[in-house]
Amino acid sequence: MKTAIIVLILILHAAVVPGVYAQDKSPLDTLDVVAHPEVRQQNISRNVLRAIFGMRLRKWPDGMPIKVFVLRDDAPFHVAFSKEILHVFPHQLRRAWDRLVYSGTGQSPFEVTSVEEMREKIRNVPGAIGYLPSIKRDKHVNILQVR
Amino acid sequence: MSIFCKCAKDFYLKITVSFCFIFLFQISSAHALRPGLFDTLQIHGFASQGFIQTSENFFFGKSEDGSFDFRELGLNASFRPDPDLQFSVQALSRRSGEGSDGEVRLDYGFIDYNVISNGSTSVGFRLGRIKNPLGLYNDTRDVAFTRPSILLPQSIYFDRTRNLALSSDGISYYSEHRNDSGNLFYQLEVGFPDVGDEETKLAFLRGQLKSGSLKEKTSYISRLIFERGGGRIRLGVSGAIVNIQFQPTVPNTASGTIRFSPLIFSAQYNVERWSITSEYALRNTKFKNVGVIKSLNLTGESYYLQGSYRVIDNLEGFVRYDVLFQDRDDHGGDAFFAATGSPKHTQFAKDWTVGLRWDMTDSLMSRIEYHNIDGTGWLAPLDNPDSFKIKRRWDMFALLFSYRF
Repeated sequence: MKTAIIVLILILHAAVVPGVYAQDKSPLDTLDVVAHPEVRQQNISRNVLRAIFGMRLRKWPDGMPIKVFVLRDDAPFHVAFSKEILHVFPHQLRRAWDRLVYSGTGQSPFEVTSVEEMREKIRNVPGAIGYLPSIKRDKHVNILQVR
Repeated sequence: MSIFCKCAKDFYLKITVSFCFIFLFQISSAHALRPGLFDTLQIHGFASQGFIQTSENFFFGKSEDGSFDFRELGLNASFRPDPDLQFSVQALSRRSGEGSDGEVRLDYGFIDYNVISNGSTSVGFRLGRIKNPLGLYNDTRDVAFTRPSILLPQSIYFDRTRNLALSSDGISYYSEHRNDSGNLFYQLEVGFPDVGDEETKLAFLRGQLKSGSLKEKTSYISRLIFERGGGRIRLGVSGAIVNIQFQPTVPNTASGTIRFSPLIFSAQYNVERWSITSEYALRNTKFKNVGVIKSLNLTGESYYLQGSYRVIDNLEGFVRYDVLFQDRDDHGGDAFFAATGSPKHTQFAKDWTVGLRWDMTDSLMSRIEYHNIDGTGWLAPLDNPDSFKIKRRWDMFALLFSYRF
């Protein structure tokens, strides 16, 4: 029985390798960092943005709770946002969240399943922050300039 | 555990629990309740099952025949009624050989209050049972997803005296400073770590187990981490002064003291595909009037160097060399052998490890790893009661499945 389980797991591990190079290209579309319209800020520094998406900054300067929305770790927009805007790799972000969540010292961001859901949350949840493709500008969200 | 310590520990736990109740009462009164408050309630958990096979010696159960006696289950909740206030609690059940029997324990449970919070600075306090901030991995050491391997480098993150390292009941201060050149994280914890279990007793008292008992005294744990590039570079130093009182079994005998002071230096460099991690630790233990030991000052030394490479996004391999010396002035164990007659190889361990991590989905992971070990320095005496039966050179093979949400 044990031998069978071990052999099965070894096979499973070996089976991953052929999938190696089947990866999505990262999107060329540029992204906007967006917040709920009531978030008054126009500009945000990269460092503060990293603190927010690293789940270490919990409120806006006016005291409103920050609600962070992200797409799945492997979603092309999330990968592009992490690498090109935050300058952090998605797996680094995930590890930082895990360290907070499983030591009780922080919380994880809200995960949405699509760009449309992201748009809906940013429009409607006070204090929300996320990212959207900039080709579809939206006057119902506040676009933050990253400096 | 003595009555005094139990009181001190219970005191902190009671304070935490009382605060929770007072708070819940307050928010349930109508005027304080606002819509969307419970949006901040988060529940997470994990479940891991391991398999260990050793060529010689026992690690986490009867591993020479293959052992499934390695299981970790955890469930946590956090609630943030106000951005400055968070309640967090985690229950943990862990089974690993003779040392941990799967009993459910409170892993952490505390109130976190943020006094200052702005773009560049956060300052706050935590009160209750708090994870000990030691090295890069201790805070989440039982969560397989956050470890670099199935078994943490044993030279620094001993599994045999893990309870001592886990969490403390007390108060902690934390501050974070962020600017363009990097982030600084500082934590100072004052409290009582857990020294009541059999493994810790065995580690400190060795042959004279029946001569007395241990109780925790006020202890200090602190960590400073500097992070650059959102975690691309992480440098840390952490240390503790753990004070333990030795209460002799024989009545009217003066009590003794043990002071355990580990110091850990940590460094990590991360880029997209690979990362290099190293930690170096000195562990000083001072014994005074502990049974037959009138005075003893012992410093152990540990370090590891680990490199990992992500072949593809969800497949990562690693290599590690991990070294432990129980006594930095007696690397080979010769003096120990001369003094005690016990095997020299119990005084060191040099472990070469290779392994693979495969993230099947965001919440499902499997791992395999192989260890080639010279020395038995971190073998648990509870699993290997007869030190003359253990073998110096041994191999270990491990598998692990883990799920988290």
